[in-house]
Amino acid sequence: MARRSGFSAQTLAVLAELCATPSQWRHGYGIARGTGLKSGTLYPVLIRLADRGLVEARWEDEQPAGRPRRHLYRLTPGGLAIATQALIRARSDGAATAAARVRAARPAPARVAP
Amino acid sequence: MRLMTRVMSLLLRCSAALWPADRRMWARALWVEAEAIPEGWSRLAWLAGGVRLTVLEAGLARRLGYPVVFSAAAAGTAWSAWSGPAGDSAIMINRVDVITVAVILAGLSWAIRRARGPVAGRRPARMVRTGGYAMVLALVLAKAAVERVADAPPNNLPASALAWTGELVFLAVMVGYAVVILAGTARRSAASSADVATGAAIGAALGILVYALGPLGFPLRFAGWWPARLYDAAMVLGALLALCAPVAAGVAVSRRAGGAPRAGSRVRHGALAGLCTGAAAALVISVLSTATIALLPHASGLRDWAAGHIGQWTPAVGQVTPLVGSRLGYVAGNSAFAAGYLIVLLLSPLFGCGLGAWAGRAAGRPHLAPSR
Repeated sequence: MARRSGFSAQTLAVLAELCATPSQWRHGYGIARGTGLKSGTLYPVLIRLADRGLVEARWEDEQPAGRPRRHLYRLTPGGLAIATQALIRARSDGAATAAARVRAARPAPARVAP
Repeated sequence: MRLMTRVMSLLLRCSAALWPADRRMWARALWVEAEAIPEGWSRLAWLAGGVRLTVLEAGLARRLGYPVVFSAAAAGTAWSAWSGPAGDSAIMINRVDVITVAVILAGLSWAIRRARGPVAGRRPARMVRTGGYAMVLALVLAKAAVERVADAPPNNLPASALAWTGELVFLAVMVGYAVVILAGTARRSAASSADVATGAAIGAALGILVYALGPLGFPLRFAGWWPARLYDAAMVLGALLALCAPVAAGVAVSRRAGGAPRAGSRVRHGALAGLCTGAAAALVISVLSTATIALLPHASGLRDWAAGHIGQWTPAVGQVTPLVGSRLGYVAGNSAFAAGYLIVLLLSPLFGCGLGAWAGRAAGRPHLAPSR
């Protein structure tokens, strides 16, 4: 599934999470909770997506009380288009894979002599 | 838990400087994000993931791992070569060998890093460099083991000028090999990682084949007619493959560099690949054969097999085969190493370089060029 869409399963999970609210800026922990990825997996994905221009990042504008400013992420317009296509392709591949599994698991029909 | 979290947070914060300059903001992002995570396992796991990522991004494992492994290997080799009576000439030569080789490998690594840059980022280059260093150290180790027994009492020979001259030649050859290994795998190398890896892989395979055909540097002897004929055929095939291997490496890399417009470039690619083929083959043959010679006094089964199948090991051994156990034949084995494998180490890279250059040139000719 992941191979045909051009992205790994983890990257697709991040893209899906960001696609859910494309206009909102998301912080790393929120994406990690939404995808179930650990920081050591999530951040390499975010770095790669940012390098490819699919994700934009910025620091929080205002200084919150008691903690430093966080890093925020969202899909770029180009990233949103590519992510949408990749997710559609991954879903159709996933459906095709599931159908193939069902066909393989189903017993072969008995041959009837003419 | 709180203490561990604080330590991990401090570690991540301090190690941000190890990230490449254009990515440091990601290290800060990871650390800052941890401050917003509830205290406990979640925050600790987050920070641990960040530290792991820092190790990967900064290439710490590589930066620290290679020097540590090299130091351990060099120390192990030195410890092995050092053992023996202090007055023994062979032990003295072994000690000089191992110290000089360790200094050569470490010093040249530093010098070539300054001149040609660090090791190329690609995995084949790192594998060739690590494998090359391992082979050089293994050769020193095996040679020390051979000489410790060969020159031990009652064969205790005085350290003659000839013996020291031989050692100087050996060390000079090792310098040459270290330069080829380091310069060939450096980031600003004249050879691409693919050229070096192709040449080294073909050379290593050739070395194993040649060793299998003559484990002690001499043809095997078989009693039956069919085994003898089959062995002769294998020897002919092996000789052909030995000639073809550098040519194959030269053709492969010069065709891969097919976009290069100048014939000189193809010749250079071919020559470098052939050089790597010859050098890798010579190192593999020398290490395996020397290690086999080193095993002879300790393995009676191997000695019996050698006595039965390598009658013409040397003219001396041919006459004194029953005396192998008393080490007299072993001295002959040692001189076979000194005279034989040093010549192999010297000439094989030169032959490989020449054949590879010829192949690179020939591969560019119209009748050999790949059809489009």
